[in-house]
Order: sequence, then C-alpha cells, then structure tokens
Amino acid sequence: MAAMNNRNLVKGLFLIAIALAFGGGALRYNIGHLERVGPGFFPLMVSSLLFVLGAVMVLRSRFMERAPIYFNVKNVLIIMASLVGFALLSEHVNMTCGIVFLVFVSTLAGTTYSVRRNAIVAAVLLAIAFIFQKGLGLQLPLY
Amino acid sequence: MDILHNLAFGFGHALTLQNLMFCAIGCTVGTLVGLLPGLGPLATISLLLPLTFSIPTSGALIMLAGIYYGAQYGDSVSAITMKIPHASSIVACIDGYQMTLKGKTGLALFTAGVSSFIGGTVAILVLAALAPALGEVALKFGPADYTALMLFGFVCVSFVTTGSLIDGLALCMVGVLLGQIGTDVNSGVQRYTLGLPFLIDGVSLISIALGCFGIAEITKNVDSHEERTPFMGKIHLMPTWPEFKRIIPSALRGSAIGSFLGILPGGGPVIAQFAAYAIDRKVSKYKDEIGHGAIEGVAGQAAADEAAARTSFIPLMSIGIPENAVMALMMGAFIIKGIQPGPNMIAQHPDLFWGLVASMWIGNCFLLFLNVPMVRYLLSIFKIPYVVLFPSILFFCCIGTYSVNNSFEDVFVTATFGFIGYIFLRLALDPAPLMLGFILGPMLEENFRRSLLLSRGSFTVFVTRPIAGTLFALIALLVLWQLAVFLRQVRNGRTQAVPAG
Repeated sequence: MAAMNNRNLVKGLFLIAIALAFGGGALRYNIGHLERVGPGFFPLMVSSLLFVLGAVMVLRSRFMERAPIYFNVKNVLIIMASLVGFALLSEHVNMTCGIVFLVFVSTLAGTTYSVRRNAIVAAVLLAIAFIFQKGLGLQLPLY
Repeated sequence: MDILHNLAFGFGHALTLQNLMFCAIGCTVGTLVGLLPGLGPLATISLLLPLTFSIPTSGALIMLAGIYYGAQYGDSVSAITMKIPHASSIVACIDGYQMTLKGKTGLALFTAGVSSFIGGTVAILVLAALAPALGEVALKFGPADYTALMLFGFVCVSFVTTGSLIDGLALCMVGVLLGQIGTDVNSGVQRYTLGLPFLIDGVSLISIALGCFGIAEITKNVDSHEERTPFMGKIHLMPTWPEFKRIIPSALRGSAIGSFLGILPGGGPVIAQFAAYAIDRKVSKYKDEIGHGAIEGVAGQAAADEAAARTSFIPLMSIGIPENAVMALMMGAFIIKGIQPGPNMIAQHPDLFWGLVASMWIGNCFLLFLNVPMVRYLLSIFKIPYVVLFPSILFFCCIGTYSVNNSFEDVFVTATFGFIGYIFLRLALDPAPLMLGFILGPMLEENFRRSLLLSRGSFTVFVTRPIAGTLFALIALLVLWQLAVFLRQVRNGRTQAVPAG
C-alpha cells in the first residue's frame, strides 16, 4: 500500500478515524441546544475539531517529504497476546498460571529465548507477587 | 514572617518518622525505576502509583512527589553515564556524557546532584511565597476563564512538548474524548461505554498512563533489539574546591530560569533545561568549554530541571490546572486520594500543602546524601539484560492496573491503550498531551457547559470577560504564528521531513 510509506498521511487518517468514531457516537446522544446543551454536544464539538486537525494533517502531508512507517506487527501482537492471556488465565484459573504465561509468551518478542532463564524470571516474579500479597495487602488471586 | 511560619508548620508535618520513610522510599524507588531505559517520569509515576493506594493521604502525596523527582534524577544519571536520552534529560546527554568520555563521570554526577539541590531549594522558596498568593487570584476565575485557561494550556503544551501545534493539539483532543467515556455527570447518560459495565465509571487513569507510556514504550524498545552495555567505569564523586566553585554561579542561574519557566503554562523541566543551557552558553565564564564536557553545561541544566519540576506544582496547587502531562498525572493521583487540587486545597488542607512543600526539600536532601553516593550501586540495574527486564515491567504494569479495582477487565483496557499508544509512537506522535487532555477533559466540559448556561447560550462570554478574552487572543496569536511559519516553509520548497521518533 502506497499510503503505508507516508507517515504524515497515515497520522492524519488515523486521527480522522478516531474523530469519526467518537463523532458518530455523539450523534446518538441528545445534542440539546446552546442554552442547555445535552450530553452529545461537547463530544461532537471536540471530535469535529479533531476531524479538522486530522484533515489539516492529510493536506499538510502533500507538502512534506514522505517518511516511512516502521511497524513491528509481530512484536506488538506477542505482547498484546501475553497481556490478554495473563488476564484471562488469572481470572479463570489463577494468577500463578497467568504470570508464567506472561513471562514465557512475552519473551518470544525478545532477541534470545531461554526456557531456563524464563523459569527463573517467573519464579522471582511469583515471589514478588507473594510479597505484595502478604506484605502490602494486595488482593492477588495467586492460587 | 508568614512564609517561615508556614514552612515551619510544614516541616512539623513532614518530619514524622513515617513521612520521612515514605519520602526516602519514593526518592530511591523513583531513581531506580527512572534509570530504566524507556521509562521517563510519566511511566515511572504511573507504575509506582498503585503502591501509594494503601498509604495515608499525606504520606502518599509525599511519596509521589519523591517518586517524581527521584525519577527525574534517575533520568539524568542514565543520560550522563550511558547517553540514554529520555524526553526529560536530553540536555544532560550533551555535556554530561562528554564528561563521562573524559573519565569525569563522578564529577558530573556530583555536579548534577548538587545543582539539583540548589535548584530545588530556590524553587521551594518561590513555591512557598507564590502559591498562596496565586490561589487568591484563582478565586476570581469564572467558568469561562477556566475554559480559556485550559485551552491555553493545551496550546502551550502542544507547542512545547511536541514542537508541532496540530500534532499536540490533536492528541489533547483524543485525550478529551477518552475522558468522555463513562457516565455524564449532568444528565446521567452513559457515553461510549459500548454496553460494557466496567466502562460506566470511565477509563481509569492508570490504564491510560500505563498503556500509553509503559507498555507502548516497552514494545517500542523491544523492537529496537539493542542491548545496552552497562557502565563499568570508576566513579570518583568528590570534586576539588576550584571545580566546586564553578558549579555555584551556573546552578544559581539555572535555578532562576527554571523557577520562572516552571510556572508558565506548558512550561516544565524540559524547556527549562534547554533555556538554562542556552543561556549558559551565552554568559558563562567558561562558555567556550560548554559542549565539550564542561561543569557548567551540567550544573545549569540540572538546577533548571529540578527548579522547574518543583515550581510546576504552583499552577496545580493554586489554580487547580495542571500545566503539563506529569502534573496532570499528579492531579489524577491527588484526586484518587480524595484531594481536589486548587485554590481551596491550601485553605482546607494546610497540613497537606505545607507538609508537601517541606517534604520536597527533605527529598532534595535524600537525593543528595543518599542517592548520589549510592549511584554506583543503582547503576548495576543495567547489568540485567532487557529480555529479563521487559517481562518484569509488563508484570508490574499488570499488577498495577489490576490492584486499582481488583479487576482483570482493567488489564484488557490497559492492553488496548498499549496498542493504541504503540501506534501513536510509530506515527511519531508523542502521547504526553493525551494525558493532559484526559485529565482536563471532564473539567473542560463542566466549565464550558456552565459558562454557556450562565450566558444563556451566548459564546460572547468567552471574549468579553477580561481574563478569558486575553487568553483567547493569545491562543489566536499562537495559531496564526504557526500558520505563518508553515506557509513560509511551503513557499521555500518542501518542508524537511521530521526525524523518525
């Protein structure tokens, strides 16, 4: 995609997308009138402003040199997966599983991978979590 | 003397054994976490914020402030020893790192520590003298004036932190929109909750801060695949007397500049460092050496950094409007502890206010006498490889988010903001203004709606009131100026591409 090589253009388009999402949502609430504005008025106003700013960026990108975008899909997906997995496992099984999962999955994004090192990291983090639970009184469902 | 009396009252509160302990813990942990690559003050504070939940209010505020300037100092240490530039310590990389190359690391660290102490002391006097007076002025502000002041803050912050007015402004607006999620206080309507029950109270501050500044930064660092070589050199801290004498004038200059720039909207440590460094290059006795590892190049900016970090509390505590992203986060933390910063804070909670002011100075002493000598041990954190460090930071982000409401749904929200924050970083958008927009969003809407209600739906109220009118005129001037600069650039050919962020 040609657009992917133009960071300034994508920046504007991304902000326009956010503006449209919130602006569209605002239309579903009561806008009211100026003397007594409804819950939809302010978000509609702010998202319109954001839309204008995004449009200005798109326009401006025509006058600027193209800058490539570097987006490491693999790493960001690995880290998101490790966080979501942590939350799901901690909620449905227990947090010990969650921590082990977090360490072993997130390190897939690193330069090197070592099961032994991950086991040590997981053990240390578990110990820290245990100290937090007993010492600081955090409600961590470790088991 | 009123100020002395008040300060004495503050020291009485800050010097309890418990508060001293919180101050020391805050400074040390803040320095340690601030040292980590990719974690600036914003990420450090949000990471450590959950620790303060179970602590009594005054102790928590003292600890938070300690974390803030600890993180600030940690940043400059990693800049001096390893040239790791955080947003908040770019200037320290120049002369500080040059001094390391000359084998004078210890002297640079000592200079930074002493200058911070001087800067902090000057700023605290300014804070104690100015905050109560400014608080009385703030009582005259109407809703329209507050609206104008917040918008003016947005414009200034966008201008200063990102260098591009529309980029920063757009991020502020995104923050304001995120602040709309949840129940509207005026009508009780649930906005943007997507039918999810955990969004009824809105998105939590911690989720946004940890997502956009913690997880997003970590992911970006993981991408870059670089391992830092830990600093192994010798550290000899004590300077000779002639060296020590060179620190003082530059540090005093920096303190004055920093104290002043810290108060202005959009101001804060970053701009103060640059200004102090630039002025030192003009007026210092040793100006020819600056840039090649001169003491003055470290002293002036470190003092300005610290002074501005302290005086930026003035608008927050006297007017109730944070002037930059870090102060916005502080305000969020104050509100979590049930304190609404603003003109009434000094009157209603004098013990908190003066205790905090006094603890800032105590924190400075801790930094100087505890952290500076301990720096060589703190630096050993760099011996931990990043592959071990980043899963641990992710773990702390998860625990921090979870322990706000004991709910794992918040972890999903944090992960979502981590993803969005990563996109922002990759698009070269600095997410710091988003924080300011998010905190001020609800206040902005409240004041905007109230001014329209009072003026019976007429927008003229924003122009006819003297304070609001002046501020809007300033905003218009800044916008026009940016437009003129851009048009001139276009006429002189295509504008330079912004360097990759």
